[in-house]
Amino acid sequence: MAAGPATAVLALRGVCVSGRGRPRLEDVDLSLAPGERVALLGASGAGKSTLLAVANGLLAPAAGTVLWEGQAPARSRRGRRRQQARIGTLWQDLRLIEVLTVQQNLNAARLARWGWPRALLNLLLPLDTDACAAALRAMDLDPALLEQPVTALSGGQRQRVAMARLLRQEPTLLLADEPLASLDPRLAGELLALLLAHAVAPRALLLSLHRPDLLDGFDRAVGLKHGQVLFDGPVAQVSEALLADLYGGTPPVEKP
Amino acid sequence: MKPAAPLLMLLPALVLVPLAVLLPPLVHGGGWELIGSFALAAVTPSLDPVVLASLLKGLGVTAGMALLGWAGSLVLGLLLGACSSRTVWRTLTGSALPAELIRRLLALPRAIHELIWGLLLLQLVGLQPAVAVLAIALPFGALVARVLSDLLDALPTTGLEALRAAGAPAPAALLTALGPALLPGVLSYGGYRLECALRSATLLGVFGLGGLGTDLKLTLQSLEFRELWSGLWLLLAVMLALEGGISLLRRRWLVPGRFVLARRGVGERSREMLLALAALLPLSVLVGRGLGVDPAALFQWQPLPGLGGGDWATIAALPWPRLVGGTLLLTALAASLAVGLAPLLLLVVAPVGWARQGLRLLWALGRLWPPPLTALLLLFVLEPGVITASLALGFHNLGVLGRLLLESADAADPAAEEALACGGSGPRLALLYGRFSALARPYLAYGAYRADVILRESVVVGLAGATGLGSQLLESLSSFAWDQLLALVAVYALLTLVGEDLSDRARHRWLRAT
Repeated sequence: MAAGPATAVLALRGVCVSGRGRPRLEDVDLSLAPGERVALLGASGAGKSTLLAVANGLLAPAAGTVLWEGQAPARSRRGRRRQQARIGTLWQDLRLIEVLTVQQNLNAARLARWGWPRALLNLLLPLDTDACAAALRAMDLDPALLEQPVTALSGGQRQRVAMARLLRQEPTLLLADEPLASLDPRLAGELLALLLAHAVAPRALLLSLHRPDLLDGFDRAVGLKHGQVLFDGPVAQVSEALLADLYGGTPPVEKP
Repeated sequence: MKPAAPLLMLLPALVLVPLAVLLPPLVHGGGWELIGSFALAAVTPSLDPVVLASLLKGLGVTAGMALLGWAGSLVLGLLLGACSSRTVWRTLTGSALPAELIRRLLALPRAIHELIWGLLLLQLVGLQPAVAVLAIALPFGALVARVLSDLLDALPTTGLEALRAAGAPAPAALLTALGPALLPGVLSYGGYRLECALRSATLLGVFGLGGLGTDLKLTLQSLEFRELWSGLWLLLAVMLALEGGISLLRRRWLVPGRFVLARRGVGERSREMLLALAALLPLSVLVGRGLGVDPAALFQWQPLPGLGGGDWATIAALPWPRLVGGTLLLTALAASLAVGLAPLLLLVVAPVGWARQGLRLLWALGRLWPPPLTALLLLFVLEPGVITASLALGFHNLGVLGRLLLESADAADPAAEEALACGGSGPRLALLYGRFSALARPYLAYGAYRADVILRESVVVGLAGATGLGSQLLESLSSFAWDQLLALVAVYALLTLVGEDLSDRARHRWLRAT
């Protein structure tokens, strides 16, 4: 792998995705350097989710290129899986596996690197307890939760377990599609701080956001409107006028 | 150390380990050529018009027997179901005791497989179309009655009490309060029973009760594989059309269309259902005419030889422990094969899109192909016995369970599987962790129910030799040993009732633990 220090963790060039009637993404360029934390802004329907789906490999663009750590999508199934294993997504609906314990859920993030024997053993015995406990502690959770079924957790605990699972995957690219949308402001702030704290080089973070008041910890902001990049620059340059343009004149969210 | 749900689902497949050891010594040199030409005939079925005409006629008879038996079982089941409902008796008389009594009594016809019913009736009234119809209607009717009364007694009774308090007479109040609420459940279960009736009618044919099953067996025994496959493909077309039609009606009647803007009124749809039910009566009469069913002939009983005074010494001398043990072993092997192989095969083919369609076809063949014919086919290359019989029975039930698993997997939420695949897990592990996790418990619960069905069904592979009660029963029947036969049926029924109780408990445990 020729990934030097300057290689972008994620690079989109001229990415287009067509949708019904109008394009969902049009000629999008975006690059994330190691250690960079980028917030994706835009109104509903601006193309944030589509952009994230292209970034995590779920959606192949109609035109343009996607490079992960300088590499185009691998042709072989095995190579592709190795590539996907380095992309971690925090889903808005968390996508925990309800019938399994916290520890089994955390270890599910290792399936890409494990073979069948360990994958099956994980359903029988507690595996890699130390690493799982460390992942929970990193999210300010009590390691005693490891043996609990995820159904027994509170909403906030589930969020943190999903984030612990993300860390356990050890990805270089962290993606999150409005992970804070349905949370109360205090919890949202805490979780965002944890995410930002773990997005350090060589890792990079791309997170779509509905609330410009939470931009403080980010290095850069990217504004999408009608599938096009309207703004790409330091957070400090995000002005009221820009936000008004992005959200079509209405303030995106009234501040609590 | 407690296995997690998705792992539990795969554990029954461990039965493959002992089978891998036990199976090779059972292979005799014999008929690999026959198996080869059988497989080859699948793609070169006979298209001779004479053969096709005769097969179509047989198919018509089988479908007619299935329809009549099913319609009869619905009528019987609705009546008996109401009679064994605690709610109904409590409303009519104030006491639920008669319901309990009738419920216990109905366990007996339910515990006896339709094949045994068919063979007994055959001895009693001789070969006539009504035998197969009755053989299906009796046990199916008792099954429908049980499901119906369970549904009835699980309904909330507040509406009923309100009507009664307002002075409505008991029968009218029951019909108004419980009838409409019951209809979807009855239709859903009734549709499933029609699919079972088609399989049963084919099976009864294999044992000489007429229709396509008889043709299939004769062509297999005379090694006319190309004609056999013509019949099989025809049957497959009818079965798939029936299953498709039933699931279409189920969607139309039970699940409101998600993209329908102007939703049709509930009343309109119930009218449609009642019309369909009402159309069954003239249709049944017509089919009955066509088949030449003569109800009066059912009452001309043949004198039964040697029914007086049983020979208890001979009955006691039967090797009971071996018979019961063989039956239980056969059931356990077949059930483990069916329950364990369905998820395993789905996992194996997961990365290949089209292979799933192949599995779908294989399972459809398993469902429609009667187990005794599989057993006969296996006997070309395997020694007779419990293992050979369990392969035949397992294959058939794999078809039933596999379809169920595939359908519920397709209907389940794909989010978790997608998330895992997106994180680089292979398609197999993503399927196991992401999708099977949520399905495992309901699937195993259904598997427990199926094991009970398999125990009842084990009689149908009795002709694969020394398989326990089933083979002994067929033997006693052909030697007209009535006293032995009755004793065997009684033991079979007892075993089935115990099995039913155990599988009920297992089912409740699986479903409760979610």
